[in-house]
Amino acid sequence: MNRRIKPFLRWQYLFGVVIICFYVGVAITAPYLAPPELGKVFSPYQFVPDINNHKPAPPQPGLPLGTVGYARTSRQINIYYTLVWGTRTALRFGLLVTLLAGSFGILFGAVSGYFGGKVNRIMMRVNDAFIAFPLIAGVAFFTSIIPFIFKPEAPKTLFQSILFLLFDKPLMLGFIFFSWMPYARITNIMALRIKETLFIQAAKAMGAGHLRILFRHFIPHIVSPAIVLAARDVGAFVLLQATFTFIGLGGDSEWGAILIFGQFWIINPGGNIFQRWWVFLPAALVLISFGIGWNLLGDGLNEWMNPRISQ
Amino acid sequence: MPPIIRFIASRLFSIFVTLFIVTAVLFGIVMLTPPDIRATLYMPKTNRPLTDEQYQALVEKSIEKYHLRDPYPVQYVFWLSQWVRGNWGWSPILNDDVLKALIRRTPVTAELTLYSLLVFIPLGLVSGVVAAQHRGRSVDHYFRLSAFIATSLPIFTLAVVLMAIFYVMLPWFPPERLSTPLYLFVKSTSFHQYTGLLTVDGILNGRLDISLDAFRHLILPVFALSLAHWATLGRIMRSSMIEELQEDYITAAKARGIPMHILYWQHAFRNALSPALASSALSAASLFTGVSVIEIIFNIKGVSEMFLQSFLGIPDAAPALSFAIYSVIVVLIVMLGLDVIQAIIDPRIRETSIS
Repeated sequence: MNRRIKPFLRWQYLFGVVIICFYVGVAITAPYLAPPELGKVFSPYQFVPDINNHKPAPPQPGLPLGTVGYARTSRQINIYYTLVWGTRTALRFGLLVTLLAGSFGILFGAVSGYFGGKVNRIMMRVNDAFIAFPLIAGVAFFTSIIPFIFKPEAPKTLFQSILFLLFDKPLMLGFIFFSWMPYARITNIMALRIKETLFIQAAKAMGAGHLRILFRHFIPHIVSPAIVLAARDVGAFVLLQATFTFIGLGGDSEWGAILIFGQFWIINPGGNIFQRWWVFLPAALVLISFGIGWNLLGDGLNEWMNPRISQ
Repeated sequence: MPPIIRFIASRLFSIFVTLFIVTAVLFGIVMLTPPDIRATLYMPKTNRPLTDEQYQALVEKSIEKYHLRDPYPVQYVFWLSQWVRGNWGWSPILNDDVLKALIRRTPVTAELTLYSLLVFIPLGLVSGVVAAQHRGRSVDHYFRLSAFIATSLPIFTLAVVLMAIFYVMLPWFPPERLSTPLYLFVKSTSFHQYTGLLTVDGILNGRLDISLDAFRHLILPVFALSLAHWATLGRIMRSSMIEELQEDYITAAKARGIPMHILYWQHAFRNALSPALASSALSAASLFTGVSVIEIIFNIKGVSEMFLQSFLGIPDAAPALSFAIYSVIVVLIVMLGLDVIQAIIDPRIRETSIS
């Protein structure tokens, strides 16, 4: 059998790929799975008439996963609709944060390893300093400081839109700012290993510039462990986004929001998680399986790219 | 000087370097805000509500006094000198001095962190070794399966489900730190707070029921907090044990007829320990994030509970900056502790740090 695809035929990894394909499929076909109402401003939350006297309504035709409302208000949300549309937010957030944090970390680690010596020592010191930084403190810091720095205005140019995207959501900025360190660390280890190899020396001898060597020869050879990390991180970031939404630190994970609403009905006196399972468990399972899918994909990629290390 | 002292000294030095980098970066971000926001970092305590004019005058005075229109290095040095003296600012939202509030709440957070470290480190190490010992057999498969499940559960869903089952349905393990009658007693003057850790203070005051009640309240938070870290540590311990068991000295020891349990628990264990503890030290930051989430969900009145609640209101510069630096200090202390344990067990580490 072909060596290159064999690891993916192990059922765990295949399962991971299937889960991710499922979520991507749901994200793409969301308008068909959960058609938004025509003539209204789009929102990932669909309010449905209150049919169970201010209490969550159980699953029934038209409401596959029932409804849940915030505390004892009459505004009930269609859980299925929100979970389907939340897939888009989750994928967008996970992929964007991983892409930005990962590419910054890889660049940092590669540049530091490429120049080596004193530069490497200083840059890795900075990296070590950031490793001691808890994500939650970083996010809290940005949530608190950004409103003073950046006044949201309607973006006009592309650059402004990017700024707007980052600064309008301090959570995302905090995630990028405080999660690039593992990438830098792992890339740096690889970079120091191949720095003195002949093909880099040859490229230098041929008079290639620093930038050319870095991007053409250096980074492509050392990026594979970082890609494995990235696959696992997509799931981890979405889980963390939901966590921060849940504890009220900003972030707009719809899955997290459903869990906030659901929590009220199961941990307050008289709540029963088995009786009202639909307010918490479906959203929790969606979140957990999303994380598992990316984790399995990471394991599979790891075995595929570094077969010797993982065995 | 014994190597272990030199090791600790070199680690302390690197802690100061780390703190310097972190504060410089954080203050650099704060520098992006306008001067009148930065002035709130130095606000003195005000008892009565100020009128707008009085407030403006105060801000102007701070800007003058602390050189808030000067370039970054000057301001950083001014701020650092204030900060080292313990002037961490006054927060109108907390209605308290930031440093005092932090110190008052520290034992609560420390208790939670300490117990979860005490739970997951020994359990993780032991289960990793046992899994490696039975590699490929059912014990190993059960360990790997449970570790996989444990790492996939987000901490807050686990916490909420645990609370829904073990507090709402079966009233066994309530949230918060203590039951209300005992809590009122602890707050009264007849209870002497020696350490601030309720489990320890209960024993020191001769009130065993308080300690037991505090333990009962700690079970769920500590379990939810430790589970994922246990699994990560156990996995790394397992793989590092397996690697170690393939070394030549193990084969030689086997040939000499050394009993297997001594081989596993004394020869291989000590060598396999450093990578495992090193990885735990790297995840100390995520442990702090976990502690914060758990504090909020279980309503444990710790540092993060207070500070994160304050961010929900109006943004406030002084507590935001202080909380960030405080959390880095906590993480660095945990990392230092793990490093020292590692150095005590593994002579290679304390010797190499000297060069």
